Amino acid sequence: MRLKTRERDGILILEVKGKVMGGPEATVFQDTIKEALGKKYKKFIFDLGGVDWMNSSGLGILIGGLTTIKNANSELRLANVTEKIKSLFMITKLVTIFDSYETIEDALQNY
Amino acid sequence: MPLKKLVDLSIPSSQDYLPQVDSFVEKLLKATKFPKDDLDDVAISVSEAVNNAILHGNQSDESKKVFIKVYLSKKYIRISVRDEGGGFKPERVPDPTEDENLLKASGRGLLIMQHLMDRLAFKPTSKGTEIILDKFCPEGC
Ligand SMILES: Nc1ncnc2c1ncn2[C@@H]1O[C@H](COP(=O)(O)OP(=O)(O)O)[C@@H](O)[C@H]1O
Ligand SMILES: [Mg+2]
Repeated sequence: MRLKTRERDGILILEVKGKVMGGPEATVFQDTIKEALGKKYKKFIFDLGGVDWMNSSGLGILIGGLTTIKNANSELRLANVTEKIKSLFMITKLVTIFDSYETIEDALQNY
Repeated sequence: MPLKKLVDLSIPSSQDYLPQVDSFVEKLLKATKFPKDDLDDVAISVSEAVNNAILHGNQSDESKKVFIKVYLSKKYIRISVRDEGGGFKPERVPDPTEDENLLKASGRGLLIMQHLMDRLAFKPTSKGTEIILDKFCPEGC
């Protein structure tokens, strides 16, 4: 997994890329979010467009991120959710848990 | 149907080896007639099985190994992942799609493998747990 952050209109965008297969990735992800919350970011977008594939560890990372963000009274939207990830959301019934948008622009609308 | 063993490898119980196992299996399958569109389903499932063998089976004890074998028949590819742990009862694993489990960060690996592979079998052996993953090649392998 590769992780990059950028800011737009005060919103923190986390770009996730590559294969998300488990290991130290979860800690890196959590640390990035906690650091951003410490900098007072209240709105987040996870950009999943560059994810080749993810397994259940990847889903766990997304859920962990959502929980941390919500516990800090902040908000999360997902963008560029690939067909592959959508089908994992269906299988695991996580589809109702996440607020998903087709593109970054869509996710930024009324945020 | 005869099964041809393509590879037999073992890794220490550390997630650091996941990327190596992944690229190894991917290269191997790319050299067969296995459909490219299904490669990710297999890669995801192998990562699930190897993670479980490392974390739950061998409990990250690096002196214990995970054994990975890849087989090819005319109709399907088979991947076997074995650990040196005490085993478990798959039917006792909680359903991750129940409301009370939905926000848990883990517990979805078996469910995902069941959906992405065509056949899944668990073999408790005297030397640990073996999980067998099969995926068909619609046009032959
Ligand atoms: N190889 C294994 N050896 C022992 N227990 C296992 C093994 N594979 C799976 N399990 C058990 O099954 C449970 C569910 O596995 P899984 O669906 O992959 O979820 P997770 O790995 O996220 O806990 C694990 O928590 C563990 O208790
Ligand atoms: Mg697992």
